[in-house]
Amino acid sequence: MPPKNVSIRIDGELISAREDQTILEAATASGKHIPTLCHLAGLTPVGACRVCIVEAQGTDRLLPACTTPVHEGMSVTTSSAKLARYRRMTVELLLVERNHVCSVCVSNGHCELQSLATELGVTNVRFAFNYPKLDVDVSHPRYVLDHNRCILCSRCVRVCAELEHAHVWEVRSRGIHSRIVSDLNAKWGEAQSCTNCGKCVQACPTGALAEKGRAVEEMTKSSEKITSLARWRGAEA
Amino acid sequence: MPRIQDISAFNDVREAGLAKVMPPVPRVTVGMGTCGRGAGAEGVYHAFSEAIDRAGIDAVLASVGCFGACYEEPLAAVRLPGSPLVLLRRVQANDVGRILQDLSSGSITPDLAYCKVEQWDHVTGHLHYGDGYPEIPAWDEVPFFKGQKKIVLRNCGFINPDDIEEYIGIGGYQALYSVLIDGAKESVIEKVKAAKLRGRGGAGYLTGNKWEFLAKAKADQKFIICNADEGDPGAYMNRNEIEGDPHNLLEGMLIGGYVMGATRGIIYVRAEYPLVVHRLGRAIEQAHEYGLLGENILGRGFDFDIEVVQGAGVFVCGEETALIASLEGQAGRPRPRPPYPAQKGLWGKPTNINNVETWYNIAPIVTRGPLWFAQTGSAKSSGTKVFSLVGRVQSTGLVEMPLGTPLKTFIYDIGEGGIAGREIKAIQTGGASGGCIPREMFDTPVDYENLAQLGSIMGSGGMVVMDEDNCMVDVARYFIEFTHSESCGKCIPCRVGLDKSLRILNRITEGVGTARHVELLDELSHYMRECSLCGLGQSAPNPVLTALRHFGQEFDDHIVAHRCAAGVCEELALSPCENSCPLHINIPRFLALEKEGRIEDAFEAMFLDNPLPASTGRVCQHQCESRCRRQTLDEPVNVRAVHRLVADSLLLSDRFDEMAARVLRHKLDPTGRKVAVAGAGPAGLTAAFYLAMLGHDVTVFDEKPAAGGMLRFAIPTYRLPKDVLEREIEMIARAGVKFIFNVRVGTDVLLNDLDDDFDAVFIAIGTWKQAEISQAGRELKGVYGALPFLEALGRGEEVRIGRKVAIIGAGNAAIDSARAAIRRGAEATVFYRRGRKDMPAIEEETHAAEQEGTKFVFLAAPHRILGDDSGNVKAIETVKTSLGEFDTSGRRKPIPTGEIQRHDCDTVILAIGESIDAEFAHASDLRLKENGSIDVNRFTLESSRGHFFAGGDVTSGASNVSSAMGLGKQAARSIDRQLMEADRWQRLFSEFEYEQVVPEEPAPSPRHAGRMLEPAVRARCQAEVVAALTPEEAREEAERCLRCDLAAANVT
Amino acid sequence: MKKLKVATVWLDGCSGCHMSLLDMDAAIISLAQKIELVYGPLVDAQEFPEDVDVTLVEGAVSSQDDLNRIQKIRQRTHLLVAMGDCAVTGNVPAMRNSIPVTRLLQCVYASGGEAKTIPSEGVPVLLKQARPLREFVTVDVSLPGCPPPSKSIAGVIAALLEGKKTESAAGVKFG
Repeated sequence: MPPKNVSIRIDGELISAREDQTILEAATASGKHIPTLCHLAGLTPVGACRVCIVEAQGTDRLLPACTTPVHEGMSVTTSSAKLARYRRMTVELLLVERNHVCSVCVSNGHCELQSLATELGVTNVRFAFNYPKLDVDVSHPRYVLDHNRCILCSRCVRVCAELEHAHVWEVRSRGIHSRIVSDLNAKWGEAQSCTNCGKCVQACPTGALAEKGRAVEEMTKSSEKITSLARWRGAEA
Repeated sequence: MPRIQDISAFNDVREAGLAKVMPPVPRVTVGMGTCGRGAGAEGVYHAFSEAIDRAGIDAVLASVGCFGACYEEPLAAVRLPGSPLVLLRRVQANDVGRILQDLSSGSITPDLAYCKVEQWDHVTGHLHYGDGYPEIPAWDEVPFFKGQKKIVLRNCGFINPDDIEEYIGIGGYQALYSVLIDGAKESVIEKVKAAKLRGRGGAGYLTGNKWEFLAKAKADQKFIICNADEGDPGAYMNRNEIEGDPHNLLEGMLIGGYVMGATRGIIYVRAEYPLVVHRLGRAIEQAHEYGLLGENILGRGFDFDIEVVQGAGVFVCGEETALIASLEGQAGRPRPRPPYPAQKGLWGKPTNINNVETWYNIAPIVTRGPLWFAQTGSAKSSGTKVFSLVGRVQSTGLVEMPLGTPLKTFIYDIGEGGIAGREIKAIQTGGASGGCIPREMFDTPVDYENLAQLGSIMGSGGMVVMDEDNCMVDVARYFIEFTHSESCGKCIPCRVGLDKSLRILNRITEGVGTARHVELLDELSHYMRECSLCGLGQSAPNPVLTALRHFGQEFDDHIVAHRCAAGVCEELALSPCENSCPLHINIPRFLALEKEGRIEDAFEAMFLDNPLPASTGRVCQHQCESRCRRQTLDEPVNVRAVHRLVADSLLLSDRFDEMAARVLRHKLDPTGRKVAVAGAGPAGLTAAFYLAMLGHDVTVFDEKPAAGGMLRFAIPTYRLPKDVLEREIEMIARAGVKFIFNVRVGTDVLLNDLDDDFDAVFIAIGTWKQAEISQAGRELKGVYGALPFLEALGRGEEVRIGRKVAIIGAGNAAIDSARAAIRRGAEATVFYRRGRKDMPAIEEETHAAEQEGTKFVFLAAPHRILGDDSGNVKAIETVKTSLGEFDTSGRRKPIPTGEIQRHDCDTVILAIGESIDAEFAHASDLRLKENGSIDVNRFTLESSRGHFFAGGDVTSGASNVSSAMGLGKQAARSIDRQLMEADRWQRLFSEFEYEQVVPEEPAPSPRHAGRMLEPAVRARCQAEVVAALTPEEAREEAERCLRCDLAAANVT
Repeated sequence: MKKLKVATVWLDGCSGCHMSLLDMDAAIISLAQKIELVYGPLVDAQEFPEDVDVTLVEGAVSSQDDLNRIQKIRQRTHLLVAMGDCAVTGNVPAMRNSIPVTRLLQCVYASGGEAKTIPSEGVPVLLKQARPLREFVTVDVSLPGCPPPSKSIAGVIAALLEGKKTESAAGVKFG
């Protein structure tokens, strides 16, 4: 039985959506923009970054658009002073958590965190910077993992598990000490399960995963290829 | 044992079980929960076991769970056939012999007897142990248990948790049997709904509705889960429930599994609860054996199994989606809902998750029905809730109370109030996700809605009581540190938000926080609450938000004044004594200098910290001693006595001029600024001294003919000889302070004139006005106010008092009046409406007054004063009071009983409080507070009028000498800062070099106290009662200091 | 019209922001008519003057000297603009922050340099970490970028000339 269609309102506009869609999918399908960060179309949404939060009538809670399913009669607001304030706060917190030095980053100019900051008008950070000491894993022959630039969106974890089925990546520890790890905390170059496919690098929104040999601003990524691949696989299945 | 397949087999087991619980021979049980074991219960159990074997006594020994009174552990219980069950407290292994001996002679060891249980309502059954032992209180007469209602804990402490027969014996598994026989699944769900049982895990969702969702879900397999991942700091309800009564949980889950159509149950418990895991393992094994788990349960065709899964002790796994992830073998990280577990739970199947305590309420609801259940509790929250009451109360333990019970019942009635008379200031409910509730709100009934309204939550039932030794900023920091380390790190608000919150709170507790930090903290907290993915992050800011809301002043203290009143934040205090001293005297320093025999240096250092050292050395309330860490070893250092000796030795000697020169060389160059001080009492003198030392031109005005204020005119000479005071005032005068006496500021000199003539004015006129009370008979001859009475004596005037003097009130002025009356040959009786321990007077003075023959009548409030025909006092009538509920001061309210008592007397002294002169206050045009005191900025002491500062009793209300001086000191610094636009304070002080060594192994040495004149001698003269220490004693006393100032420095 | 008194300051940065400031082409001429440059690497003044209207600060606060300067500047200027990433986030100067200062100096001077000794005089004492302005003083306008484009700098000054305090210039980016 094909999914039913439901009517919802996004920012006042009446929209028709499939009942198995999320708010984000419904919005995107009708050309509405909701800012996202950890989300990558084609991968299972996790609702971790909270950038895509929206307000919905009938609840005091803010809902992540990427994981919340639509339902008949739902009315969603995607931008408000409060949402803007909270989204900016998220970007500020990411900027202070690790060492995002855009000027010397391979992804400068192509980074989703950087462009999100610009989109949301984040020009300064009110919190003290953590400046943690973090490792850079250069053991892989073709790629680099720089923890300084990682925002723990888990796209690499998901793309590797869901599309490559290699399960190289996981998140270890918890809280502020969370880190991306390959295999059982092996160096990436020594991770036996890695197929060197590079999907994680393409999925990574920042310069945390990059190709070796790229200089500042040279690392462009094609996350849309991940989305197409997922779609193709989905159709195949 | 064959599996039970029919009712007669079930009844056989029941009979056998009951015979075990109430055997025809003596039965001894030992509380063997984790709490009991921690206090040594295992040793007690073995001692019983050996003694019974050795002596061949015909008695049954069993281990049971915890009965709740953890503060009295180890708990044991003894019962002779036909007699009540008697609980014994604080039982040690070496008590066992005499307990058994007493038991064999049919008696109960009296000193260990705690309470008795004559009959017990197990809800599913009822036991009558027997009646007797009138000398032992019934369990519900003990304050700790009064008002408790045991539904969840109904079996804990009575039955052996490792024996399924005992559980069945007291009516266990009967509810399950009846449900299986009736087969009416919907009606059970209806019952749970009608009972309005709410989830005991914290969120308070209606359990019946949750059950209905799962029952209606269509799937080939459904799961039910018991969430036993209890991890809140200070909470151990679930642990003790399972340790004491594991089958109760299994029965609840079996009923739930049956009516919701599940085939498997899982108990998720943390591995840190090994005894719980053991008890559950044993219970499940026995349940299998008896046909209560597995296939065809009780022969009714129901298949169900329960498995225990041990979690790794991750706090976030208490969140249901994280718990499910953990069960599936993944890292315990939550996922957004929807879908809810009832739709898509464990392995994608519909799943119901309930807290341990929720399951414990199921059998009672099935057995007694929803109406019975809903009788207990409040309208929206029915039933009882188990709380772990811990922290700064006298009686701690597990408490099961009807929902809706006010907080103060927990704290003052069950907990029996603060430890060692400390003032309780807050209670923290709901653990790391909850908040702190201030004592002004202790009337609040405990239920889901009310706690939420105060910014806290019920949570799983943790209650941590805090007193004046707890810093609320540090408490908030502690809980954030906890959630910070337990955050899973998945969502940004929780992961980074908590990290930033913790860093900001660390800055504030280190004394380098700013107002901007507090703003950011507040914004972050709201952000985390609204944006976090799961309950952990959403509720983690609650401790901060409630601390900001209810204890904002403590944040200000840390940020503006760099002070932590509780003395917890070590960077902000030199030592506990210094921190508690209103003058912040560097106590370890003068003690160290005295110890090294450098009395001149000690004097210099001390005088610059406190310009009335000899007076305070006699009359100070010495808060320093209550915080002295030496008392953990033997007794606190007698700081005040050393202080006095150092002051006396030089102030009263012919080296006065030399010492004055030493002090005055610290004086700064003249600034050309003029400051007026109104009032020459402790606050005024202190401010004047420091302002003069800072180089200002200071003039002090006082309406009295001499300086000293209360020190001179209210404190009698037998406590403070006036020549001592004279020398101190001389020193202050030498610093350049000018005095103008017999001039009343406000009438003789107008404030406007002061404003014209001076750059700043400090008002410290004290509280000399007797509180206006409408006391019947106030106008009679022979009725005096305490202050006018003491003042007249101080001036050496003749006051006519009779033979029998009645004093009303119990503050220092009352005690001084009584002792003065005794010295004039009269009999003195003090009447007070509360009890002795609530008296505000200094304990030593009360004790001395008693020795001298002052009588005390407590629980007596003044009713009226009776006069004779010529208008002289002839008697006083008092009303007997009884102590009622606790008020916000943490003391019981005296309630008049109506019983009038008459006491003959010819003089009455009213010592019931002083207040600021209202006439002056209103004429001054300064903004006042509700209580009539002058309203000033807490930190700068600036009043509503520019350049006018105020401090001492006039701002704080009647207080004590050192507190007033502390405010005088604070005012001097603040006035100087305003006049000079710079903080020049530190320039007054110089460094002293002295030994910086912490005594490694301090030997016990007794505290020295000044010798007192014999009561019989001193009651007849005005001579000073307490003598100074000898120099040797003072040296030895100084050596007792543990040098906490260095210990604190070492930690950082 | 009274000219706006503008100062520029160069703390721990590469001077790239100042280059960008000068890179305004013709716009700088019309700007020069409206402002008076009272202090900075581009003018001779030795002492930071009182009552400055706007100060553009490039660089992070990295040494005790930087700290003393920025505190004095804050007292003497009405509006403080953090110009460029170093002033806003710490940027490249802050990349040393996880290395202890003594090890850093050892590495630069003793092991790497010709002198083989760590200079103790004539160089400012390094703070433990290089940190952005906001962590020490109140910042009125933040202008990120490494360097901020000339247009953005011109835009901020133009807005300030009109009396508008723009917290952020649209479209600016870090890096």
